[in-house]
Amino acid sequence: MTTRDPHASLRGTDVAVGDELPAFSLPVTSTVIVAGAIASRDFMPVHHDADYARAQGAPHMFMNILTTNGYVARFVTDWAGPEAVLRKIAIRLGAPAIPGRDLRFSGEVTSKSEAGNECLLELAVRAVNDLGEHASGTVTLTIPGA
Amino acid sequence: MSQQEGDPVRERLEAYVGKPMGAPGVAPDAVNLPMIRHWVDALDDRNPVYLDEDFAATTRFGGVVAPPAMLQAWSMPRPKIAGIAERGGAPTEMSHDNPIVALDEAGYVGTLATNSELEFVRYLRPGDRLSTRATVESISAQKKTSLGRGYFVTWVTTYTSADGEVVGRQLFRVFKFDPSTIGAS
Repeated sequence: MTTRDPHASLRGTDVAVGDELPAFSLPVTSTVIVAGAIASRDFMPVHHDADYARAQGAPHMFMNILTTNGYVARFVTDWAGPEAVLRKIAIRLGAPAIPGRDLRFSGEVTSKSEAGNECLLELAVRAVNDLGEHASGTVTLTIPGA
Repeated sequence: MSQQEGDPVRERLEAYVGKPMGAPGVAPDAVNLPMIRHWVDALDDRNPVYLDEDFAATTRFGGVVAPPAMLQAWSMPRPKIAGIAERGGAPTEMSHDNPIVALDEAGYVGTLATNSELEFVRYLRPGDRLSTRATVESISAQKKTSLGRGYFVTWVTTYTSADGEVVGRQLFRVFKFDPSTIGAS
């Protein structure tokens, strides 16, 4: 992965429909799952207690939805930069994100329109692991037009 | 969707549609830097507008803002840790007057989250104190899936600032199912 300047932001003139976001792979560990759950103040045992989660029929402790949304947001702003304004994250939830299964994020620009000095973008995003599609959906954001 | 005709469970659920999903809530704390720092470290999110005051002042935001995906985190109730497993993970004793509990009691004890839609009307800043209210948007007719029979329940939570401005919304959909009906025709 190339490292980009975290202070630089994309402009509408830099983006075209069909552009793909730089791929991002998250090595999911128990620590990643627990850190996200507690930072989001979600104390449900399925997000930190593997035995409890298995007793509920899950394969392992699994990532909570707030954390999934947080990583989707990070995936998008890592690409778009700090001037990006997220408007909407709409995802369908599927396979659980569990320790030992890397979560691979991908995204593509599906729509672009100008509104004044702003550029409105729609992205199709997915996060998949070996179990299947963890999350897929649409992120809507604005970036500066030029 | 004529399946709900002659379905007494679905008929009883109708009373919840359009009604509050639970009591309105007030965030335990205002939006604050320690919780933002905790989140950005947990997710390793290095967007400088979340913590770097000097840089954030040069951006369109004019100052630090909270990561938008933290919206729900601000309003999470203070959990009662003792007994949380026995409550199925519910942070506090749940109100019994909602369709999730009604479906649990009718035998549809399985829960699978299927959809989340977060809408950010504006970014939050340190000091914002959120209130929430949630409304049951819809309940499906009984559906047969690979998990068994069940119902999709959708609710929308509206987040408002202290002066009543709507700052965000979240739609959440779960499938409540009866695991004993897997494979039933």
